[in-house]
Amino acid sequence: MTLRQAQAAGSPAPGARVIVIGAGLAGLSAALRLAQAGRPVTLVTKGAGGLGLSQGTIDILGYAPERVARPLDAVASVASEHPYASLGADAVAASIAWLRDELGPELLVGDPAVNLHLPTAVGSIRPTALAQPSMVAADVVGGRRYAVVGVRQLKDFQADLIAGNLARSTAPDGGPVAAHPAWIDLPARPGEADPTGLTYARAMDDESFADRFADAVHAAAGECDVVVVPAVLGVRRLGVWRQVSERVGRPVAEIALQPPSVPGLRLDRALLAQVKAAGVRVIQGAAAIGCRAEGGRVASVTVAAAGGPRELAASAVVYAPGGFESGALDVDSHGAIRERVFGLPLSASDAFALVGPDFWAPHPLFAVGVLTDADGRPVAGAEPVLSNLYAAGGLLAGAERWCEKSGDGIAVASAVRAADAIIEGSAA
Amino acid sequence: MSESNAKKLRERLNNELKRASLDACVKCTICEQSCPVSAVTPLFSGPKFVGPQAERFRDGASVDHSVDYCSSCGTCSVVCPQGVKVAELNSLARAVLKAEHGVPVRDRLITQTTLMGKAMTPVAPIANAVLGNSAARKAMELVMGVAASAPMPTAHGQTLRGWLKKRPAPTKAPTRGQVVFFHGCAGGYFETEAAKCAVEVLEFLGFEVLVPEQGCCGLAEQSNGLFEQASSSVRALVGQLRKPGVGVPIVSTAGSCGGMLKHEAHEILGLDDPDLLDVGRRTRDISEFLMELHDAGDLPTDFAPIAARVPYHQPCQVRSQGIGMPAADLLRLIPKLEVVESGAICCGIAGTYGLKKEKYEIAQAVGKPLFDMVLETNQGVAACDTETCRWQIAKSTGVKTIHPIQLVHQAYGLGRVEGL
Repeated sequence: MTLRQAQAAGSPAPGARVIVIGAGLAGLSAALRLAQAGRPVTLVTKGAGGLGLSQGTIDILGYAPERVARPLDAVASVASEHPYASLGADAVAASIAWLRDELGPELLVGDPAVNLHLPTAVGSIRPTALAQPSMVAADVVGGRRYAVVGVRQLKDFQADLIAGNLARSTAPDGGPVAAHPAWIDLPARPGEADPTGLTYARAMDDESFADRFADAVHAAAGECDVVVVPAVLGVRRLGVWRQVSERVGRPVAEIALQPPSVPGLRLDRALLAQVKAAGVRVIQGAAAIGCRAEGGRVASVTVAAAGGPRELAASAVVYAPGGFESGALDVDSHGAIRERVFGLPLSASDAFALVGPDFWAPHPLFAVGVLTDADGRPVAGAEPVLSNLYAAGGLLAGAERWCEKSGDGIAVASAVRAADAIIEGSAA
Repeated sequence: MSESNAKKLRERLNNELKRASLDACVKCTICEQSCPVSAVTPLFSGPKFVGPQAERFRDGASVDHSVDYCSSCGTCSVVCPQGVKVAELNSLARAVLKAEHGVPVRDRLITQTTLMGKAMTPVAPIANAVLGNSAARKAMELVMGVAASAPMPTAHGQTLRGWLKKRPAPTKAPTRGQVVFFHGCAGGYFETEAAKCAVEVLEFLGFEVLVPEQGCCGLAEQSNGLFEQASSSVRALVGQLRKPGVGVPIVSTAGSCGGMLKHEAHEILGLDDPDLLDVGRRTRDISEFLMELHDAGDLPTDFAPIAARVPYHQPCQVRSQGIGMPAADLLRLIPKLEVVESGAICCGIAGTYGLKKEKYEIAQAVGKPLFDMVLETNQGVAACDTETCRWQIAKSTGVKTIHPIQLVHQAYGLGRVEGL
């Protein structure tokens, strides 16, 4: 069958692959799941995905709107327009457990049913479902004493602020929290004025530097049950936290900093490596700019490679480009909201009515996105826009992710839903 | 360089790049996470600081010298999820710096790749002996600032043109139409083996291969901030490549130079010439070209097995073309050949960066993860698509480093790579 004949018949062209658009948590998860099921997959992305900017934990649901202790219970009772309502708590639990097991216990631990409560870089308490083994000892528990150890040369980790805020907090179990700051003096590279956490993490890939760090922390920490440090314990070498804990003689736990976020990079690199090892072709630096549809299906996705467009023949598409943050959703100067690649119908079209004057109040604009059918296909009315186009992640309508802390769970569960629909559909 | 030229470059920096791209930066740090240079030295404070951040504060004054520690690998633009032209911004800022403060003679000389090839070929043994002589290289470092340990090309007694003229005419008539072959300076003079294999593979597949006389693409001049020279080099090349075969694919074995034709000349030098855009649209890296055939069901894959493990490194300037990793995909079609991707961002050489004595150590530190990986995984041969990167890998590891097409050439039964 020639390419033209195949297209006229409404079936994928020979050589067609599942095209995944986006390299964030949703795109990487979908690509991995599809490739593991033996589907030929090409992942196309404009730049690096957002996972590397994350805290390196997996949130399911943190606030609804009160702080959540048992996220799956809260998922089961979200409003009907929330993405979790159509995904269901069981699918969310299974998807998150799948991701955890794929990445393994050196990168992610925890129970999707129970939230941890981890201190942030400003000393507030953040609920999250899965965390890295280097973080969990910082779980805020009543009666514990935390030493918060900063590094003088490292910006963005203010030990006094973190310890001060923790000490005036009540632990989620209702008990008191004791915390005090301490400081060490340890340049990562001589002569550098303001190194980031990443500079320290790279230095920590050298075992002898990690030992020096541990010795300085040991000397400075003082009386405590848990030593809390900035998240700089290695980026290529996993398990630096174990080495440091042993040398300090107490549990040591990392707090994620603002980007460049070392724990986020660990997850991003590990997941991307698995995607590549599973045989996915990864095209970075080429934005998807449109598609060619034939007979109600996506026949090919057009990407902007250097020099000119390329058409990638598609058997199916998982569209996981993110939402407003990545520019996948856009608001123009007239307040018109649009989806930029496929021009998909959205849950609202006028931004002006959806942003309130109070910064901290809910802004319905952030819940705008595409509506889908039960398989995750974007719909116009009740019908799928294109029969082989699936959406996942931040593009989906119905959740204000930043204040709910629901973005990771929605991304993974909707990616798995899309991948499984494609796998089951093409197997039939 | 003339004052008017400096003014022209500054206008471009202020208008095109600053207005169109700088404000899209959300300071996410993704470029900093991926920059291979700032990872190994505090002398370069990273693409975000030097680019979108510092540019706002310069207010007419020329940039500080840290921008010259950028190696122009282009990774920052590839990874930027907001579409900021970070590398282009910094390349232009460097050109302004050099236009306003002057260019070292060394930077003018090491960019003359065609001239070097032409001068060295007739006296290849002498030229090679001089470049292989440590006393001569020490003198070069002292006088010119070219690092004594940096890799230098090896001249051959026969150019690609010489080989094309002397070889017997192809016996098989073409069955698939024409392609124009772009070999680059290295393929023409220093590393003719890869270019010869490419011609033979394309002919084996049934193409009529047109090889027009061709000069330098100007990439080395551009990455040294010599925009006027780079522009005239690339314009001349565009004219040469457009001469034969109307609208036919232009297939390249010069990995990075292909990127110059596809996008860098347009985006960094700011050339909007329709002839350049036409050449850019038609240019394909040879592995990209063969994988397009494969995906359309038009590539014979009855390859002879090659039982070996080969570390493969994709050069930064091939990655930045937004084509994925076609060489790795292609090599994986060869039975028994185990391809191990380097996962490294850059080999360090970045064209001419690693040749400079003040940057040599940085370049070696940038390349170290790659060198370690090549040493750990190779079984005699490594593969990489760009010439200077191959010289850098070979010089730093002692491992023979070839173009991927040489493996395809062997798998089609057209020859044998020594050592495999």
